Amino acid sequence: MFLQLLANGLVTGAVYAIAAVGVSLVYGILRIVHFAYGDLMTFGAFVAVTFDTTLGLGMIVATAAAMVAAAVLSVGLDFALWRPLRARRANFMSLFLASIGLALVLRQAIFLAWGPQPRAFDVDPFKVYTLGSVRLSGAQAIAIVVAVVAIVLVGLLLSSTTLGRTMRAVADDRALAAVAGIDTGRVVLSTWVLSGLLAALAGVLAGLVQGTFDPNFGFTLLLPVFAAVVLGGIGNPYGALAGGFLLGVVTELSTWEGFGGGVDPVYKPVVAFGVLIVVLLARPQGLLGRARLV
Amino acid sequence: MSALLVVRDVVRSFGGVRAVDAASFEVERGSITSLIGPNGAGKSTLFNVVSGFLRAEAGTVTFEGKRIDRLPPHRIAQAGLVRTFQTARALARMSVLDNLLLAAPRQPGERLLRNVVGSRVTRRREQEVLARAHELLALVRLDRHADELGAALSGGQRKLLDFARVLMTEPRLVRLDEPMAGVNPVLRGELLEHVVSLREQHGVTALLVEHDLEVVMGVSDRVVVMSNGAVIASGPPDGVRNDARVVDAYLGVEG
Amino acid sequence: MSVLTSGEFWAFVGVVAGIYTILTLGLQIEFGYAGLLNFGHVAFMAIGSYTMAILVVKSGWSMWLAAPAAVLASSAAGIVLGLATLRLRADYFAIVTIALSEIVRYVATNEERLTGGSQGTINLAGAEEASDYNGQWQRFQDWFQGTLHLGSKDVAMLVLVWAVALALTVLVALSIRTPWGRVLRAIREDEDAARSLGKNVFAYKLQALALGSALAGVAGLFYAWQFSFFSPADFAPLLTFFAWMILILGGVGRAWAVPVGALVFGVVFAGTRFFEFAPFTWFDSAERAYLRLMIIGLVLIGLILFRPQGLLGKREELVLE
Repeated sequence: MFLQLLANGLVTGAVYAIAAVGVSLVYGILRIVHFAYGDLMTFGAFVAVTFDTTLGLGMIVATAAAMVAAAVLSVGLDFALWRPLRARRANFMSLFLASIGLALVLRQAIFLAWGPQPRAFDVDPFKVYTLGSVRLSGAQAIAIVVAVVAIVLVGLLLSSTTLGRTMRAVADDRALAAVAGIDTGRVVLSTWVLSGLLAALAGVLAGLVQGTFDPNFGFTLLLPVFAAVVLGGIGNPYGALAGGFLLGVVTELSTWEGFGGGVDPVYKPVVAFGVLIVVLLARPQGLLGRARLV
Repeated sequence: MSALLVVRDVVRSFGGVRAVDAASFEVERGSITSLIGPNGAGKSTLFNVVSGFLRAEAGTVTFEGKRIDRLPPHRIAQAGLVRTFQTARALARMSVLDNLLLAAPRQPGERLLRNVVGSRVTRRREQEVLARAHELLALVRLDRHADELGAALSGGQRKLLDFARVLMTEPRLVRLDEPMAGVNPVLRGELLEHVVSLREQHGVTALLVEHDLEVVMGVSDRVVVMSNGAVIASGPPDGVRNDARVVDAYLGVEG
Repeated sequence: MSVLTSGEFWAFVGVVAGIYTILTLGLQIEFGYAGLLNFGHVAFMAIGSYTMAILVVKSGWSMWLAAPAAVLASSAAGIVLGLATLRLRADYFAIVTIALSEIVRYVATNEERLTGGSQGTINLAGAEEASDYNGQWQRFQDWFQGTLHLGSKDVAMLVLVWAVALALTVLVALSIRTPWGRVLRAIREDEDAARSLGKNVFAYKLQALALGSALAGVAGLFYAWQFSFFSPADFAPLLTFFAWMILILGGVGRAWAVPVGALVFGVVFAGTRFFEFAPFTWFDSAERAYLRLMIIGLVLIGLILFRPQGLLGKREELVLE
């Protein structure tokens, strides 16, 4: 049972991790707490489900289409909303509130376009892979494989390419990066594209793992994702990865009977928040964040 | 020999580097003491430790015989040690007058309930504070700007406001963090007069951190020189100016 | 169109606007004055509503004792929040407050024995008993209506809510003009400067949270009295966002901006329900609900972009730039 929960945790954690990287990059580079990210994930999932079931083009095409759509939407939103805000030198609060407004708009748009009924991807629900005492559904197996590949790719991008290193530099210290002559325009665009791709991917994977999903599910996922980002130290994409996996695993394992009966599964999100709060009490800068220099 | 402030063997590191390395010095009551040293000597760090904004890893800071190094910044301020910041922190969206009123000590009105219960005492104190604020504004020639927002003041005016605010707190020891930084020559003279008047007219002890050696030498009773985190010399300005180690430290940097 | 001119409908809108005024006044103290980014504000409203309901229905308290106890509970919860989170940087604080409000909602949804679970307070006891807090209130409201010779129950509630809302607005407006309020504003401006002037920043922030949460608790009381039965879903994060909308719409930092913002928001939000012209006629009623929320989102974005000081705020005193 423990191993099963661990496996489930890794799958959930993988989804959190991917989304958390996107959120972390947007925060680190653009200083935006992207409250609409969950709805962007939902958007990705719904675009994919349209391509998969309605158009019958299969999961791979669907996922690709979703990722492209989300990236395009993100870039479009940058021109429509974020750029004007940057021009007005909006501060953290304004950006946060704007993203809340955006979240509302996006979610209602999804409701209007696709309706409130839950959707599901066209995958065989009975396919099961067995590894020892662990059973993974087809969806879970796909999710974890894709997630690992995506994470490795993103990790490589961030660590080994010029663009990746530039992005990390800007995320780390924006003023310094500007002085060092880094083309922040290109970085901004790349950030939106990458975060859009990741959002859609995370949304599709989450939808796969969950089985059925409705337009609200992205937002429900968003809070644990934020928790993962904060846990890992906001603006630190590697920390976000770690935070995502950690939260996924801890959340699932908390229901294990071995831990004094285990937490009631209904309370899983509460565990995620609880972990966040406990960690922040002990270490206000997050696990991998830098201490605030007074 | 009445040392108001005693700093003994303070140590503070950042990321493995000892920014302040067993630094010790004393500030005499009623004097103007300056803390100088080349860039990176650890002056600002030590200054921040003394005012409670950074915690020392070792060593003690004593004020009037009582240890203050473990106190939070606001308690240190309440004890009578007030500091200014390098970039004058005028509260931008509050009026100049409010900036000053804020600084007055012993305001019962700062407890919400005292505005309801015992409000007569509260209001009387508020009148006193208002009068004093106007006095100080006149002193720094900002009285015409009393109702303007802090944001409307120029850099130099903000320094003056900072200074007036410090006086408003009825301090025993004032710590001025690079008071001349970014100040034009015209204003410099005025500020300098105010700093000297601290000792002469207000009987306030002052500790300065300053880069400008001229200012320091002209005004101070005592100079403390830091280099690479340690105090390498301290004494009257003339003595220090000619101290070989001091010359070395400065020349070594300016090469 | 007949509903649009129905007095009952507008009285209802007015009551909701009044409840929002009280809720948002709390946010004004927390953010407008003290600069705290509390995005979990609705949780304290929930605590107020639930505490009163539980004390009356399960513990048999008189509603007139339960109500102040509920407000105290909200306030205490605010203090607990502060103790746990005030040392965090602003953005973490915002996220943690949302997390905490969700925890409250989750507990309310799942602890059926305590709160009636997801079905809400109707589940607290037998149907008659469950509405006992509301019954005691109704008696008071009827007495009030009779004494003042008011036309209907809705008008009575309207008067009661707004009497409290306006009184609280006056109190909040007065409090900011005191030396205490001055310290709060300074903290919002520059914490370190406030500290260096001897102000105990932590204590003041805690006080702001305690007061703001107490106000949210009062809003919760009126919510319970107005709607009789309520459930955890009524206290979703969306409500916190509405409060923030109202805060920005009216103007951050001015107490009187809150009732103005709440009234405008209430009228516009409710009024859009009945627009019988294109493009609204393209959508059926379910879809119109989505459209209304979308418009709210767009208005919020529009405010941030074009008029961040809101209706009554002053440009120079802009907190959002």
